[in-house]
Amino acid sequence: MRQSGVDSPSAPNGAGMREALLTNEVIQTVEAPDDLTSASQRLHELVVESELTTETMLQVFDRWANALADRELSNIPGVTFLRLWLRRGNLEPILRRELGDGSLNRQWSVGGSTGVRAFPLGVVGHWPASNVEIQPVLSLTCALLGGNCCMVRVPTRLVEITQMLMERLSIADDSGAVTERVYLASFDHSRKDLQEAMSRNVDGAMIWGGAEAVSGIRSLPFPHWARLLVLGPRVSAAVMDAGTWGNRDTRRSWCQRIARDVWQFDQQACSSPQTLFLERGEGCDAADFVEDLKHAFEEENRHHPRQAIEPGMASAICTTRALWLLADENNRASFPATPDWTLLLGSGSKMPDPTQGRTLTVLVVNDLMEAVSQFDGTLQTLGLGISDGRKEAMLAEAAARRGVDRIVKLGRMHVFSSPWDGADLIRSMTRMVRYVPSAEQAKV
Amino acid sequence: MNALAEVEQGIDELLSRPPYGCEPRQHHDAVLEALKQELAYACDRNSKFRNYVEHWPVPFRSAQQISDLPYLAVRVFKANPPLSLVHGSEVKRTLMSSATTGQEPSRVVLDSPTARRMTKGVITIIRDFIGSARRPYLVVDTLESTKSQTEMGARSAAIQALGSFATETVCCLEHGPDAKATLNVEKLLACADRWSHADVLVYGFTYVIWTELVQPLKRLGITLDLPNVRVLHSGGWKRLQERAVTHNVFNQGVADVFGCSIERVLDYYGMVENVGVVYPDCEYGSKHVPAFADVIVRDPLTLRPVAEGQRGLIQVCSTLPTSFPGFLLLTEDLAEVIGHDGCPCGRRGTSFRFVGRAPKTEVRGCGNLESTRHRLQMVQA
Repeated sequence: MRQSGVDSPSAPNGAGMREALLTNEVIQTVEAPDDLTSASQRLHELVVESELTTETMLQVFDRWANALADRELSNIPGVTFLRLWLRRGNLEPILRRELGDGSLNRQWSVGGSTGVRAFPLGVVGHWPASNVEIQPVLSLTCALLGGNCCMVRVPTRLVEITQMLMERLSIADDSGAVTERVYLASFDHSRKDLQEAMSRNVDGAMIWGGAEAVSGIRSLPFPHWARLLVLGPRVSAAVMDAGTWGNRDTRRSWCQRIARDVWQFDQQACSSPQTLFLERGEGCDAADFVEDLKHAFEEENRHHPRQAIEPGMASAICTTRALWLLADENNRASFPATPDWTLLLGSGSKMPDPTQGRTLTVLVVNDLMEAVSQFDGTLQTLGLGISDGRKEAMLAEAAARRGVDRIVKLGRMHVFSSPWDGADLIRSMTRMVRYVPSAEQAKV
Repeated sequence: MNALAEVEQGIDELLSRPPYGCEPRQHHDAVLEALKQELAYACDRNSKFRNYVEHWPVPFRSAQQISDLPYLAVRVFKANPPLSLVHGSEVKRTLMSSATTGQEPSRVVLDSPTARRMTKGVITIIRDFIGSARRPYLVVDTLESTKSQTEMGARSAAIQALGSFATETVCCLEHGPDAKATLNVEKLLACADRWSHADVLVYGFTYVIWTELVQPLKRLGITLDLPNVRVLHSGGWKRLQERAVTHNVFNQGVADVFGCSIERVLDYYGMVENVGVVYPDCEYGSKHVPAFADVIVRDPLTLRPVAEGQRGLIQVCSTLPTSFPGFLLLTEDLAEVIGHDGCPCGRRGTSFRFVGRAPKTEVRGCGNLESTRHRLQMVQA
C-alpha cells in the first residue's frame, strides 16, 4: 500500500482537481449517472492504492484553517467554527478518543495478543443540508480523517460558498493529496437517477437534513454493506437557574453568550437554542432579564447584521410575534420594527415549535426539571447556565436520559466536536479491524 | 357619539369619496386617521389584540405614517375560532379563504355593518372599471356557490359581491352525477344568443374559468359571440402555473372563446381577510389603491416600505372592517411598487403589480417542527 504525504507527487486526477479548484470548477455539474460512477471508481482506486498519513491530513487542515481567515469569508455563517474545527489542537484529541492512540501514526493498537486499527470504509457519500453553510465541508472532513475518499452532493444554495471554502483548501493542500480524495457534485435534488447512482457507488454515507430529506435519502439503493450515519432534524434549548439569571453582576455576560448562540448560523442549526427556560426565583424578574437580553441582541445585531432574508422567513417571524401576543394577554415580547430579532416571554414547560430567524422564546418554570421532563428525542443540545454544580449534574443526567445528545455551557452550543448527535463522527465512517497475529509473527 | 359610531362615520366618509381621485397626501392622512381610530376601538374590544398593539415598537397614537402602525401577519386568521371584535351573536357571516388541501383556511367574521361596507367597497371599485350600468351576469360556477350561507367561501363571496351589477344571473356550471362541476353548454349558448349585443359581466375563479369554460369550449370549437363582455376573474394563478398557463395565454384563451378583445379580461387581486377591497389591473397593467384603503410593499430584510420599482411583501390596509381586526395585514404575497402617483390611466395614488406568492420557508435541515400548527393551537386555546 502506497502512502502519500504532502511531499509526495499527487496523482494526475488530484492535480486535475486542484487545477479545477483554481479555475472555478471545484464543483462538478453532474448530468449523467455515469459521471458519478466513474468518479467513484477513481476514488475507490485511490482509497485502496494510497493511504494518506494522518500527519499529512492534520498539516493540511491546519493550513486550511489559516487560509480561511480571509475577510472575504468572514460573513459566511460558521466559518469561525470551521477554522477551530480544523486545528490540529482540536482534531488530535478527537482522533485519539475515537480511533485510539495509534491512530495518529496509523499503527495497530495492541492489547494483549490482539491489534485493532481503524481502516476507511472506502468512498463516503455526503448529503448535507442546504441551510448550514459549512456543512458540506464539515461533513467531508470527518470522513477524510477516517482515511476515506468523499463524494459530496453540494446543495444548490451552497455551491458558491462551498466553492469559496474549497478554494482555500487548494491553497493549503499544495500537493493536492487531500483535494484529490474529494469529488464535489452539483445536481438538482429531484434527479432521482443521480441520487440513486451516487448511493450505489458509496460504502458509507453521512446524511444531514430535515425529516423528509433524510427519509428520502435513506431509502436510496445503497449497497448492503454501506454504513449510514443519519444526522436528522433536531432542535436545541437552554436552561438557566435563578442563581445565574438572577445575578445582576454576571447576567449581562450570560446574555451575550445566549445572543452569540442565537446568532450563529442565523439560528437555523440543530444546535441553535430556540427556547430558554428560566427557573423562577425569589426577587428575580424575568422581564428585567429579558431587557438585558434585548440589549445583548441589539449589540449582536450591530456586529452581525443580517445580509438577506427569505420573504417567507420575514413573514414567519411576523406571524410568530402576533400569535404569541394574541395567544395570552400575559405573554410579553420585545422586538424591533425590523425582523432582526424577537424575544418572546411567557411561562410553561412545553417547548413551542421553533420559528428560527433569531426568535427566542423565554419561558419561566417553577423547576427546571419540569422542562427537562418534557424533552423528547428531538432535542439535540442543551445549553446550561447553572450556578449549582450538583443541580447541573442532575439536569445533565435527566436530559441525557430524555434524548439530549450534547450538554454544554451557554455560549458554546455550536462548538462542533465529536460525538455529534450521539455518534462518533470519524469512527462511524471507519472499520475497526481486529488483527490477531500468528505465533510466528508475534515472535517477530 | 360612541366610539364605534365615530369610527363608522369616518369609514362612511372615505367610502363616499371617488375611489381613485384623492391627492396622495390627503389620501394618506385621511386613511391614517381612520385606522388610528379603528385600532383604538379594536384595543377596547379585544384584550389580546390590545396586548399585541401595546408591544408594537411605535405607539400607534403618535404614528405619522400608515407604515408605522401595528400590522398583523395574515396567517393569524387561520386560527379557529377566528379573531373577532364582536360578540358571537352579532356575527352575520364567517368568510373562509380557499385553502389548498391540508391547509387551514383563513376565517374572518362579519357583522351586518362590515358586510354592508364590504359590498359597497367592491361595488365602488368595480364600478370604476366597468361602469355602473346593470347587465346580465354570467357566473362561471354552480348555483350552489351563489347562495348565502353562514359560513361562506371566497368564491361565493366574490360571486355575491358582483351581484349588484346584475339584471339577471346565470350560472353555467352544474354538478354532474359524479358531483363534479361541468359546463352546461346548451345553457351557455342560449345565453350567448340572448345577450349577443349586450354588455355582459362574467365572473369566475381564474382556474375554474380556464378548466371548466375555456378548455371545454376550445375542445368543442365553440366561440361565444359576446364582444361587449367584461370577464372578471380572481383567486390566484398557482394551479394554472402548474399547468404552464401564463397570463397572456389565459387572456388570449378567454378572449378567443368569448369573441372579445383581451382588454376585456380583467384579473383582480383580493383576499377574504381584506374584505371589501379588490385590486383590478388598470389598462396599463397596474393595480390601484382606493380611497378607503392602502397598500404598502415592505422589504423583507427591514420590513420598511420599498421605493418605486422595488419588490417586497404586500401589506394591505383597509378601513372597512369593524367586526375583526383586519385593518393592517402583512400578506405572504410579493409585489412591485410602480409609483406613488401619476399612472397614465388617471387613477391617483399608489400603483403596484402583483409578482407572486412568497415561497414558504423550506422545511429542511435542523429546525422546523410545524411551528405554525403549534402556535395556531395556542391561539385556539
